[in-house]
Amino acid sequence: MACFKTTPQEGVPREEVAAAVAAESSTGTWTTVWTDLLTDLDYYKGRAYAIEDVPGDDTCFYAFIAYPIDLFEEGSVVNVLTSLVGNVFGFKALRALRLEDVRFPLAFVKTCGGPPAGIQVERDRFNKYGRALLGCTLKPKLGLSAKNYGRACYECLRGGLDLTKDDENINSQPFMRWRDRFGYVMDAIEKAEVETGEKKGHYLNVTAPTVEEMYKRAEYAKELGAPIIMHDYLTGGFTANTSIANWCRDNGILLHIHRAMHAVIDRNPHHGIHFRVLAKCLRLSGGDHLHSGTVVGKLEGDREPTLGWIDCMRDSFIKEDRTRGIFFDQDFGSMPGVFPVASGGIHVWHMPALVNIFGDDACLQFGGGTLGHPWGNASGAAANRVALEACVEARNAGRELEKEGKEILTAAAKHSPELEAAMETWKEIKFEFDTVDKIDAVHK
Amino acid sequence: MLKSNNKYVGINNDINGGMTSIGKIIRDAWVFGVIPETQSCEGWELARIDDLLRKVEDEWDKYGFIVSNLPKELFLKHKEIHGAAFKKAKLSGWSGEQETLNEI
Repeated sequence: MACFKTTPQEGVPREEVAAAVAAESSTGTWTTVWTDLLTDLDYYKGRAYAIEDVPGDDTCFYAFIAYPIDLFEEGSVVNVLTSLVGNVFGFKALRALRLEDVRFPLAFVKTCGGPPAGIQVERDRFNKYGRALLGCTLKPKLGLSAKNYGRACYECLRGGLDLTKDDENINSQPFMRWRDRFGYVMDAIEKAEVETGEKKGHYLNVTAPTVEEMYKRAEYAKELGAPIIMHDYLTGGFTANTSIANWCRDNGILLHIHRAMHAVIDRNPHHGIHFRVLAKCLRLSGGDHLHSGTVVGKLEGDREPTLGWIDCMRDSFIKEDRTRGIFFDQDFGSMPGVFPVASGGIHVWHMPALVNIFGDDACLQFGGGTLGHPWGNASGAAANRVALEACVEARNAGRELEKEGKEILTAAAKHSPELEAAMETWKEIKFEFDTVDKIDAVHK
Repeated sequence: MLKSNNKYVGINNDINGGMTSIGKIIRDAWVFGVIPETQSCEGWELARIDDLLRKVEDEWDKYGFIVSNLPKELFLKHKEIHGAAFKKAKLSGWSGEQETLNEI
């Protein structure tokens, strides 16, 4: 089942448009063709079964459409999207169309591979429990030599982070070919592991021009002992993503997923695909981490809808909840959960809110909030680790993090000069941008 | 930060009051006594800065890259040098916010 936010051309009746969307995204074409007579169209066609007002917006309406499961190949998110967000989006009777949510039946979910490992298995592999994971994207995003890049990775991991990340722009450019980067990064991981006694990881980006090249890079990462690799699932495409996820499952490697290009698809409130659909599709296609937005910080994302799609990443069963933008019950059965990754414009002062919002099953990624520390990368990492552990301890003691955040961090900083300096660095920052894509308002 | 001929402008002429990657290397080099505090590295070639970085890293390796692990004397020196740089950078308009721009 799918819910489309539908903006018709002026004068076109809602029922007519909804029926046309159902037809165009399933069996339909613009005219009756003789081959229609050779198939059971009544069985295969999609059906618009409900129409609802969009709260606070008279220009559009929700069209709810049901499709027979046999329209879609087993295990193929690609096939589902080709139908649901295919030619129908260029339909002339429409001014705009947005796929708001999809309910995947359990029968379809069971045909998909899903996350190669999932949250619990990743915790076991890293031996990290009872808190969120801490990460950082290495900067500058372009131009560092492989050796200096490896050093930055080591400093972050040595300072207290669990994971570091290739910037999504880093594939295999002339200034740093992938093989060199992989080698220096693995040296950094091994050194940090020996010195800290903790398991560490780095998302080695295997996103490449071809799937064959991705496999080659992934094989080398495995050969070096890398615990986790990375793929950009929207620019790479769902076929490539499902393939590399299957490879990861077969080879015992975790898969971090970046979402470059998502805002092109999901940011317009009237056209495109909502991120909750992209998140569900990724869970089915396969990935152990997915960037989810931060709620706090400077990037797009209202709190309630963000919590909605985070539920879609992690939970086994998500109940319909319009306050969170969830239009359908969704049963993922026994499919493992995906770690949401909060990344972008966050720093130590956001830690109390992040722990409160995301809980423990998340990866909190501080890029500038680590590397921008005035004392360097390791100090930035140490500050974030102390802040996280202080917040978790306070939460476990029953304290209200978002109310008492300042006191909690200030007390922790008395024992951590790195945290004290970080708090001084970022204390004046406030992020007050309004979000473009808000949850639809309460019914008029 | 670097001129077209790959010579460093010197920490006193660097952007953001010297709150840059190279500025941090130089300040750490002062803390560990790798170079005297009067050395601004003006006119140094990039390769020489890279060499300085290796020497600074060797010093940090002794303390696991953690400021809190420094012996008291070095800790106080670190506090003094970096504290002054922080104030200078703030006065020049640098803020933590700049460090989180353009990141996702």
